[in-house]
Amino acid sequence: MNVATETGSWRRILGTLILAVLLEQLPWSGWALALRPDFVLVGVLFWTLHQPARISFGAAFVLGLLTDFQDGAVFGQHAIAYVVGVYLVLFFRMRLLQFDPFRQAAQLFPVFLAVQLAVLLIGWLAVNPPAGLAMLVPVLSSTVLWYLIALFVRLWHGKGMQDRA
Amino acid sequence: MAMPGQLMFARRLGPTARLLIWLLVGVSCVVADVRYHALDGLRSGFSLLLQPVREAMRAPTDIAAELGGFFIRHRLLQKERDALLIERAQLLTGVNAAQELARENTELRTLLQLQSRPGQQLVHAALLYQGHDWFAQRITLDQGGSAGLRSGLPVVDASGLVGQVSRVYPGSSEVTLVSSPKQLTPVMVERTGQRGLAAGSGQGRMELRYMPAQTDIRAGDRLLTSGIDRVYPAGIPVARVSRVSRSQSSPYLRVESLPLAGLERSRAVLVLVAEPQATAP
Repeated sequence: MNVATETGSWRRILGTLILAVLLEQLPWSGWALALRPDFVLVGVLFWTLHQPARISFGAAFVLGLLTDFQDGAVFGQHAIAYVVGVYLVLFFRMRLLQFDPFRQAAQLFPVFLAVQLAVLLIGWLAVNPPAGLAMLVPVLSSTVLWYLIALFVRLWHGKGMQDRA
Repeated sequence: MAMPGQLMFARRLGPTARLLIWLLVGVSCVVADVRYHALDGLRSGFSLLLQPVREAMRAPTDIAAELGGFFIRHRLLQKERDALLIERAQLLTGVNAAQELARENTELRTLLQLQSRPGQQLVHAALLYQGHDWFAQRITLDQGGSAGLRSGLPVVDASGLVGQVSRVYPGSSEVTLVSSPKQLTPVMVERTGQRGLAAGSGQGRMELRYMPAQTDIRAGDRLLTSGIDRVYPAGIPVARVSRVSRSQSSPYLRVESLPLAGLERSRAVLVLVAEPQATAP
C-alpha cells in the first residue's frame, strides 16, 4: 500500500525537502518564475502521503513560513495554505494511494488549487487584491511535477509496484 | 498496558483538531505580522539562514551566462565596442555641459542662499532573488544594513527609478518595485512640469492618479520624480505615459504608464544613500 514504507528514511525525507528549498532559491525570473512549480509544497505533500507519521502539519507550517519569507509575503500566508493542503492529503490519503501516477496527479490538482486559493484569500484579506490570475499557473505546473515524481518513484521501485497500483 | 479508564487508541489528536490548531497559529502569525510587525526578528533569522544559500545558488546561472558569453561572436563584440565608443563621445559632451551647468547652479544657489543639495553616496547592489509578484512586487538585493542601507532609500538603475528599499537585513535587503500595488511615487510630467502621484498597478505597470480631465498630458510624455517628498531626489526618470483615456464616471483622466527602469531585467542597481536632510530653519 505504501510506496515508501521501507525506503522513506529520515535522510531521504530531509534530502528531498532540502533539495526542494534549494531549487526555490535559484534566481528564477520572467516566464520561468511564473511557471515555477511550488517545489516545497510538492515535497511536503508527497511525504505527507507516504510518511504521514513523520512529515505532516508541523513541517508544512515551518516550510510555509520559509516560503513566506522568500516571497516577501505576510508571515503565515503560505504556512496556513500548506497546512490546509496537508489536511486534504491526509483526508484523501487511502484513496490517493490506490491510483496510478496519472490519476493520482489528477486527484491532487484540486488539492494544489485549494492551497493556492488559500494563499490568494489570505493575501487578499491581509495585503492587497491580487494582480491578475497568474498565480494559478503554478497549480498546473505543480500537478505536472507531481505526475513526473510519482512516475519516477514507481519506475524506481520496479515492476512490483505496478501490479499493486 | 492500558490502565482502566484510559483511552486505548487515542494516541494523538485527529487531523481535524490538528488542522484547527495550526490554523489558529497561522492566523495569529498573520495578525502579528500585518498589525503589529512583531515578526521582523524571524525575518532577519530566515535572511541570515538563506543568504549564503542564495549566494551559492546564483552560481549555476552565472556559469550558464559565462558559457553563453563564450560563444558570442567576435564580430558582435566589435560592433558593440564601436557603438560604445560613439556613445562615450556623446556622453562626454553631455558631461561637459553638465559640469558647466553644475557650476552655474552652485553660483546661483549661493546667490539665492539656498541650501545646497546634500551629498549623495551610491551603493552598488546586485539582484539576489526575485519572489512571486502576486500581491506586491519585491526583489532582494545582496547589500544590506552593513553597507549603510536604510528602509526608505531610493533604488535606481541605468534607465530610471526601480523602487524603494522596504526591509533591511544585515546582508541583504528587500526592494518594493515602483510597479507594486499601493507603492506611490510623487512625479511630474517632464514636458509641462505638472505634478502628480504615480501608483503601481501590478504586472509591471503604473498609473498616474488624480489628473483632472483638462490636464495637458499625452502618450509618450516622460514622468520624473518631483522631489517634493524628500524621499526621492528630483529628476529621476520613472515612467513613460503609454495611454491616456477619459472615463465617463470619473472626473479624472485614466493615465497608464510603463516604468522606464528594467524592473524585470536589471541585475545590477544603485541605491542612493542620502544623508538625512537637515530641516530648513
